[in-house]
Amino acid sequence: MGKLDGKVAAITGGTRSMGRGMAEAFLAEGAKVVVNGRSEEKGKRCLEEMGVGDRAVFYAGDASKQADVEGLVDFAVDHFGQLDICCLNSGGVANTAPVAMMSDEEWQLEMDWNLNQVFWGMRRSLQHMIPRETGRILVTSSVEGKLGKPGLPGYTAAKHAVNGLVKSAAHEVGTLGITVNAILPGLTETDNLVENGPGSAAAMGLESYEALIEMFTQGAAIKRPNRISEVAAVALLLASDAGRNITGTLFPVDGGTMPY
Amino acid sequence: MGQLEGRVACVTGGTRGIGRAVAEAFLREGAQVVVSGRDAEKGAGALAEMGGGDNVHFVVGDVSKQEDCEALIQATVDRYGRIDILHANAGGVVAPSAIADMTNEAMEETLVWNFWHTFWTMRAALGHMIPQQSGRIIATSSVEGKIGTPGLSNYVVAKSAINALVKTAAKEVGTLGITINAVCPGAIETDAMRDNAPAAAESMGMTYDALKEMFSGASAIKRLNEVEDVAEVAVLLASEAGAGITGSLISIDGGTSPY
Repeated sequence: MGKLDGKVAAITGGTRSMGRGMAEAFLAEGAKVVVNGRSEEKGKRCLEEMGVGDRAVFYAGDASKQADVEGLVDFAVDHFGQLDICCLNSGGVANTAPVAMMSDEEWQLEMDWNLNQVFWGMRRSLQHMIPRETGRILVTSSVEGKLGKPGLPGYTAAKHAVNGLVKSAAHEVGTLGITVNAILPGLTETDNLVENGPGSAAAMGLESYEALIEMFTQGAAIKRPNRISEVAAVALLLASDAGRNITGTLFPVDGGTMPY
Repeated sequence: MGQLEGRVACVTGGTRGIGRAVAEAFLREGAQVVVSGRDAEKGAGALAEMGGGDNVHFVVGDVSKQEDCEALIQATVDRYGRIDILHANAGGVVAPSAIADMTNEAMEETLVWNFWHTFWTMRAALGHMIPQQSGRIIATSSVEGKIGTPGLSNYVVAKSAINALVKTAAKEVGTLGITINAVCPGAIETDAMRDNAPAAAESMGMTYDALKEMFSGASAIKRLNEVEDVAEVAVLLASEAGAGITGSLISIDGGTSPY
């Protein structure tokens, strides 16, 4: 008997990294899951690796595009008949820069990818969840949603904003059996970080990728990056019945980094 | 296979309320558990109800006494050979009142019951956990450790102090495989709340029912929390998956706390 038997989850960016960790944790507890990503090929490989047959499906789409985010929610409802858990998990930066050198294009991408995605996905999910009076919305925020590092102005601003959105939404739907929470991971060594970390390090004026890892973990009590499994375990708790009375919470998974 | 197989836990104030729910959840996940309480009879009753056989043990003691706190940690180690998890959970409020009317005793006893007990048990547990380079310490704080409610200053101050202790301790032992966190529940109608809250309500110039409505009204869910909410988070923090969570003040309050 799984903790999520009969539940349906949709996850933006679920083919790898934290989203993949959540997908696997949910699948292990009996849920059906729609994972999402831009690449059909990566999606196909992800489904093969997860190996749960028709309990997992892939929806190709760009989490920084409104039509694709709303399309993911609609697809989950069409395909599995309902949506119980929506994880707005995708996010990141492309060619980030200090404020003085930030381009309009990068700024807009960071807002669309990190903030607007969450709004689009949350709104569409709530329209489905409110009539059913049940649901879970999980937003992957970040320690940067409470802090602020040089060279990450757009990401930081967007993550602060999603924390506010989560708290506001939690109060709107608190009596309808719907919880809305954010998970705030510290630096987690994901595929995305390995790919984009060197570029971010350069934008932040750091010598190397290793220096970036050290900079992001020196503020932690544990002096190491977090693990995907640690984030996934919190997501599972919040998604399950055990999380029914936890809402509007900015749940830290950061090894003791944030001051509050 | 439970998430806490082979682990030894100690839960203060574990015979009822939140501590009892935490102790039962730890047992369910395979841990051996020592619970403490002031009343030997209640302890025996709790053990009988929990039905954990040899895997659960009661130690009588008053957490407002340093020697009882230290003896409890030692009794845990004596009974089961080690201590992996401490949940410093006991606490409550003594004679709440507006600050202008608050007695020294009300402030001091509330601080001892909540904060000093957490410090004494934490220090004693760290004495075992640091050499073994592993451990989990969880403190039951409160939403009141993050906000200030008029008429409850002694409780608010005690829970705020616990939060500060947790954050500092987490940084001291963060690289030693030991995590230290606080859970910050919203109001839960436990036996302790039924015992304490009517007086608190009176000090705040309201009825007990109005007090409960005030607490639930500040939440998003418009109802009180339940002991199981806290127990599930405690299991997560105590488990392997909690290794990367430390120094956190985790709100389990239906959306009440501002941060």
